[in-house]
Amino acid sequence: MPRLDAFDITIRTGARGRSRPPHFVINGYPLEFDTHTGSTEPGDVFEAHGDPGSFPHSLLLAGPEEGSWDIEGVTITYYPDGEESYTVELGACTLDDDADLNINHPRPAPVFDV
Amino acid sequence: MPSWFSNVFSKSRSAPAAQRISRAQLAAVMTEEDNPEPEALDAPPQRRVVDAPVIAPDAPSSGPADEIRIKAQPLHANACVFLVDRPVFAGRSIVCTGPQNAADAPLAQRLFALDERVIEVVIHNLTVKVRTHPRVQTDWDTFAPRIGAAIREHLKTGGPVASPEFEAAIPSEEALRAEIEDILESVVNPGIAGHAGRIRLDGVEGNTVYLEMLGGCQGCAASQITLKQGVERLLRDAMPQLGAVLDVTDHAAGNNPYYRELPA
Repeated sequence: MPRLDAFDITIRTGARGRSRPPHFVINGYPLEFDTHTGSTEPGDVFEAHGDPGSFPHSLLLAGPEEGSWDIEGVTITYYPDGEESYTVELGACTLDDDADLNINHPRPAPVFDV
Repeated sequence: MPSWFSNVFSKSRSAPAAQRISRAQLAAVMTEEDNPEPEALDAPPQRRVVDAPVIAPDAPSSGPADEIRIKAQPLHANACVFLVDRPVFAGRSIVCTGPQNAADAPLAQRLFALDERVIEVVIHNLTVKVRTHPRVQTDWDTFAPRIGAAIREHLKTGGPVASPEFEAAIPSEEALRAEIEDILESVVNPGIAGHAGRIRLDGVEGNTVYLEMLGGCQGCAASQITLKQGVERLLRDAMPQLGAVLDVTDHAAGNNPYYRELPA
């Protein structure tokens, strides 16, 4: 993956939410989102923008500090350096206080009908 | 020559004999106070990495609505995954590493017969993965439609994916789990312990096996060779009805991979 200038993330929370807004972790280093709107309360939508400006060997959305967090879906738009942006859609998952979500996804391979 | 340069290499840099001390003297003056034991640091808490399913974009399909729809997703020049809109081999998987191993897999036989470039067919739930010979660059734009047509024709005619004998001989998930854990603990893990690696059984679904690579294996450049040519072969020899062996490791999060580059 080339250098990741920035990414936008939209998180749809399910039945169990978290009170504090999440942060992300790039290559093991925790960073706050630069801007965010909405919340991660049950049924809410959280939208945020991250500016890692680095080469992600690992990019994680940090799990809750306590309890469980039900995520219905995540949409991430990546802005790699010198390339077209692309979007990846993730399905449902649950993060506990010992788990983070992998949000380091390459550009989806092209798919065509045969 | 600058003076600092001559000082660095001149014999006069050695301390005068009177000032020298022997190793024994040095050891005597080196007390624990001089070299205190480093404070034990708490290991960072181990956190799990969750991989949520990636949802493929819902691209519009061409062709009649009642037709079996198949999408091709080339992974690289020698591998392509075919996503079918209905189960091909529901809840189970079959791996054929060449036409000689496809006696129990009529669909795989058909794909091997299509072109001699096809060297491996893996059928799992809704997908068929085809690998072609690495010495030949495959143009998937032209080859994938031929494979798609062969899969569609096979499914339309209601041909079996695996022989009834193969399906009947698949052990239960519990039996597979016990056998795999036994092989991992008695053969595999002692072998890779020298590289500080370990492999854990993450789960068994039908006859499909999910493994996680830990320690020196996590992120190791040789991990896929270890898995494919070592572990998978060992498991398949012991359990011929074993399906796909899939790696669920987050290799990007490996802290101490044994090989950062493939050994020469």
